[in-house]
Parts: sequence; C-alpha cells; structure tokens
Amino acid sequence: MSSQGSSFIDTIKFVIKEALLTGGPRYYLAALGLLIIALYGMYLWIFVQHAPIFLGAEEGGLILTALNDSVPWGIYISFFVFWVGVAAAGIVFGIAAYVFGDKEFKKVAVLGEVQAVAAIVTVLLLIVVDIGRPLRALVLMPQLPNLRSMLDWDFIVLTGYLALNLIGMLVTVHYYRQDKPIPRKFIVPFITIAAPFAIGIHTVTAFISQALTARPIWNSPLLAPRYVATAFASGPAILLLALYLAERYIKGFKVDFSVYRKTLYVIVGSLVVGLYFTLSEVHEIFWYTTEPAKKAQAQTLFLGYHLPYLAKLMWLWIGLGIAAVILGIVPRVHNTKRGIIFVSILTIIAVVAEKTMTIIIPGFIPSTLGEVKPYYPTAIEIGITIGVHAIGVLVYLLLARPALKAVMTHYFSGSGAKH
Amino acid sequence: MTGQVDKSRRDFLKAAAVAASTSAVSFVAVSRDELKKMLVPVNLSDFIAEAAEAGSPLERRAREREARLKEWCRAEADKICSSMGEDSDACREARKRCAMIKVKGTGPREGVRFAMALDVNKCIGCRRCAYACVMENNQGRNLGIEWIKVLEMPREEMEVIYANMDYTEAPKPNMVYVPVACMHCEDPPCTMVCPVRATWKEPDGIVVVDYDRCIGCRYCMTACPYGARRFNWAKPYVPVTELNPNMHILGNVPRQVHVVEKCTWCIQRTRDGGVPACVEVCPVGARVFGDLNDPDSPIRRVIEEYGAFVLKPEAGTRPRFFYFFGPKRTPPREPGAEAKE
Repeated sequence: MSSQGSSFIDTIKFVIKEALLTGGPRYYLAALGLLIIALYGMYLWIFVQHAPIFLGAEEGGLILTALNDSVPWGIYISFFVFWVGVAAAGIVFGIAAYVFGDKEFKKVAVLGEVQAVAAIVTVLLLIVVDIGRPLRALVLMPQLPNLRSMLDWDFIVLTGYLALNLIGMLVTVHYYRQDKPIPRKFIVPFITIAAPFAIGIHTVTAFISQALTARPIWNSPLLAPRYVATAFASGPAILLLALYLAERYIKGFKVDFSVYRKTLYVIVGSLVVGLYFTLSEVHEIFWYTTEPAKKAQAQTLFLGYHLPYLAKLMWLWIGLGIAAVILGIVPRVHNTKRGIIFVSILTIIAVVAEKTMTIIIPGFIPSTLGEVKPYYPTAIEIGITIGVHAIGVLVYLLLARPALKAVMTHYFSGSGAKH
Repeated sequence: MTGQVDKSRRDFLKAAAVAASTSAVSFVAVSRDELKKMLVPVNLSDFIAEAAEAGSPLERRAREREARLKEWCRAEADKICSSMGEDSDACREARKRCAMIKVKGTGPREGVRFAMALDVNKCIGCRRCAYACVMENNQGRNLGIEWIKVLEMPREEMEVIYANMDYTEAPKPNMVYVPVACMHCEDPPCTMVCPVRATWKEPDGIVVVDYDRCIGCRYCMTACPYGARRFNWAKPYVPVTELNPNMHILGNVPRQVHVVEKCTWCIQRTRDGGVPACVEVCPVGARVFGDLNDPDSPIRRVIEEYGAFVLKPEAGTRPRFFYFFGPKRTPPREPGAEAKE
C-alpha cells in the first residue's frame, strides 16, 4: 500500500478520486439528488435574494422573505446557530481518541473532522445567503476587520476551525492510507489547538447575541454555556447516526459497541446540563425579572403569545430532552445499538427545536419599541435553507467515504492494528 | 528519506507555481477596473471624515456619486417627458430637480456637538415630522421606510413596551406622544457591532452609515435599543419629481438595495448651519435642536430650565436626544380631561 505515492498532493488526488470516481449507482444517485436540491436552492437564492445585485433587476430582494425591520434575522441565522454547535461537537471523537487514547475512537475520529468541515461549510453558506451584499462582505471583512464586532470574531474562528479540520482530516487520510499511525508531533499540537477552538466557535456565536442591550431575553450569562451544552448533545448524536449509516453501507466497516455506549454518556450528560440551564432561565424569567420587555419576550417564547409555534418548539425541546435522558439511562435501551440510535434521533429533534427558532426569534418579538410582527418563514426561505443543507450533506458524503476508506486500510485490513 | 523530502518539496513548488499562475490569470480575467475599485486600500482617516477640504476621499466619492445620480436622473426625466410631453409640469419639475442635484461631502465643524430635545407636553402626535423626513431624506416610497416613529404612551407610565404606534386619532387627553428616531447615542452599540466599520460616530455627534460599505448583515438593527435603523429590503424607489436635490454622501443620497439607513439629523442641512427638517416642520414647535457646546444654544437653555430625560437610560448608551416636559401644551386640553387630573 505504501508504494502508492506518499506526498500530500497524492493524498488530495486520492480524496478527489475516491469522492468522485468510485462508488456504486446508489452513491451517484444520492449525490446527484443532493446536487439538484442544492442547485435549486442556489437558483432560488440568486433569483429571489440577489436579483437586484447580480442581475441588475428592479424586482427581487430580501423583501420576498418574511424578514422585516422588526425581525431582521430569521431562519437562516437560526440554523446557523444549530450547525455551529454540530461543528463544535465534531471534536468530541477526537478528544476521546487522542487525549484519552481510546483505540476504538481512533478508528472513527476522522468522521468527526469530516462532520465539522461539512457543518462549517453549511454555516458559512447560511451567512452568505442571509447577508444582503455577499460580495462586499467577502472583500471588506478581511480587509478592515472591526475587532470590536463579534461577527468578525465569529468569521475568524469559523474559517480558522474550517482550515484546522480540513488539515486534520487530510493528514489523517494521508497517514492512514499508507498504513502508518498519525505522528504524535502532529496530533498533540493539533488537538491542543482544536479542542479549545471547538468550544470557542460556539462561545463566540453565543456572544454575538448575548450582550446586546437591545434584546433583553438574550442578556443571560447562561446563553453561551447553554449553547455549548446542547451542542455537545446534538453533534455526537449526528455522528452516531453517520456511523450507523456508514456501518450499514460500507462493506467491512465495523465499529465497536463501546463507541456507541461512551458517546451516549456524553449525549445524556450534555442533555441534562442543557435542560438544567433551561430550568434556571425559566426560574429567572418568571420568578424574578422586573424588565417588561424581557417578560414579554419570555411570554412569547414559553406561552406562545403572538407566535404559537415558538412555544410548541420550546416545550418539544423540554419534553423530548427529558424523554431522551430517561431512555438513555434505561439499561434495555442503552445496551442495544438500535436503542442508542433512537435516543440520538430524539436528541437531534430536541436540540433542533431548542437551538433554532427558539433562540433567535424571541429576541425580536416584541421588538425594542413594543412592535409585534409575527415571523413565519416563507416557502422561499425554507427552500433556500434546504438547498444550503443539501450542499452540507453533499460535502459530508464526498469527504466521509475517502476518509473511512483510509481508516479501513490502516485498521481493518493490511498489516493490522499497529497502534 | 531524502528522496521523499525532495519529492514533497518539488510538489510544493509545483503547487505554488500553479496557484500563482491561476491567480494571475483570474486577476486579468475578472474586470481589472472593478477589482481595483474593490481592492483599494482603506485607511481610517477616510472614515473619520474630518477632511472637509476638497480632494478628500469623501469629496471625491461625493463628486462621483453626483455624476452618476445626474445621469440616472436625466434618464428618468426623459422617460417622464416622453410620456407626458415636454411642456407638462412633471417634466419641468423633474428637469429642474435634476439640474439642481448637488452631493456634498461636508465634514463636521470643529467644537460642535449636536443634540436635540423634544417637548412631550407640546407634541400632538400629528406625525408631520415623519412625513417631512421622508421627503427631505429621499426615503424609498415603495418600502414604506420612515425614520421617525411616533409612539403613543399613557401619561402615567412611559414604558416603551406598552407603546402604540398605530394610532389613528390624536391628540388624546390621557396620552403623550413620543417621536423616536436615531438617538445619536454617546456610546452607540450599533457602530460597535458593525463588522466592516460601515457606520461610525462623527466628531460632531452624528452617527452615519456609509452606504457603499454596508454589507447588509443587519447586526446594527439587532443591536439598536431604539429600533432606529431601517433596511432596504428591495430596491428603493424615489420619484424624480419628488427628489430632494440637496444631498450629502453620508446622508440622503438615494440608497442602494440591501443596505441599512438611518436618521442623520439631516446632515446635509445641519452641517451648513441649518436645522433638521423635522424641527423646521413641527407645527407646535416641540422640537429643539442645537449645539451642546454652545452656551447660548436653545438646547442648553431647555435642559437647564426644564430638566430633561432620555428613553431607556438602562441601555447605557447615553442618547443625545432628550425629552422634557415643557410649560404647556399648545392646543388646550379638553376641560374635562384637565379636571380629571
């Protein structure tokens, strides 16, 4: 195997070749379907949102979304928050593998990096579709950063984390496909930088909203910890789901049950912490707050004034979160792979309910001047969001197969486990 | 082993050569003028804009914008004239306004600190200031943008969250009317959060937006405790026959699509020594505008004589837009209401 060429360029060639040129008809069909959804989303975006800029048309513009001066951020930023969390949790497998030296996790750690790359791509695209002048943003942001603005810090840490994970993934593939262990000289500094970065991207994302005096419901010091806690529930849950699918569709790829079991510990623990933080916020808002704006926004969030779906989502998070915790600690469930996957799916739904609309929208309703403009995303917005997600899943799909193939070269065949 | 190293070094050099040639080709392939315009290095002195002298970057941009606007205006006027006839009023009006277009880049005068105050006892909630603002500042008529919002609040408790801005009848005896626009805060949160420094506070206290830099992320709208910023969700449309030809590059030049705009205290008037349109138009004289540093200015007299307050002091932004309860409401209240109090 090691005669296959050993420079980095070969590795990149290997990844591209594996991603595009190998695979059965099912794989190509999936990729094609995702590509079509992505292209349709892009078409919607160019046609609707940026017609006035790209095509010089008189009509079009963000006015076709349900966003308005009262609710300037909507579904795009909501899902931005969720996927930042998923990206941050990509490092969990890496920590288990390289900090605690768990051999079984070493086999799957690369999948966490692939997930982080795909999630960050989704996140950056969600920002691009949300802002009004994407070309200016690309030129101006790096040119004159205003480091007092959290958005710039977010841009910096997100691109940094993306680069870090791409490097990590490529290096892993590089060594594994030659059937060599990853050198300690690389992995120790890598994990030392990447682990705080992972917490950092989510903390900075929370800081974007946390300190805004204009939006009292975000003025909670618990916001950033709550983001991180629920991120460490949803990210590993998605990883488990990906592992399960990989086991099913990639021949010869087997994951030890201990990986599932230990990841479930992380998920349940994070869920408990997240639910506890929610409880703490509920207590502060309904027992103590004297600020009328905060109280009004909390009533929109928990009791569904003006916007019933928001309260439904919030109670979905609380209900499903508690259900996932209880199921996760029942031995009959956590002793089977299917049970663990079921808990993971519950967790993903619960955290999507919590992290998306219920974080962003209550900050705007009622607005700073007491105006109430209920926000319901339009079909166009949802279509663009789905298109962006399709690109993210496509990236996941394209990168995961070469990465897992390299892992299999090292661990499942050839000269066996050296490491 | 050395062969390995040499090989990777060769690969690296190859990759560098490919990257350099690709970027060179793409640099030429993309329109070079456009690229130069976008990549022009920016220094902070452009934005502080104390440069009132001719030849400052702001002046230069103002002149460029003026030429572009005139061109656009003439084309619009031609359309009107060809459809309505050369002798029609609309055509003559449009041509007149096109000829008068002047875009200024006036910088702030030294030692000036603008502030505004409003007599809550006088304001009758007629919203004429909001209409005047729309006309003066060329706000997009198709988007319904109004920089000034007038809140109707109960007399007992002036809490913003209970305010009503969709009232149809005014004045009512038990209500006060509180017009809210940009407060031009001392510590504006909106300028802090802007990721590309497209908005900043000028030395004379006016918070401005550079429409050519704004990327439309709407973070400033999220950060503003007074809801003062407006976003152009579509291409704003201003009829040429209603265009205000007296423009400032940071103020009321017609806006582009997907940029944020806000009240600038009519920078095109006040920098030349005038007062904002809302002050001029107010039928009851509720608004007072002046220079905080000038002991003889009306704003100082009002603050010292009556005492003033600001909205949402807890936001910690120190607004320079004051409210005060002056001596008397101009239109007499209904006698019944007076007795009840």
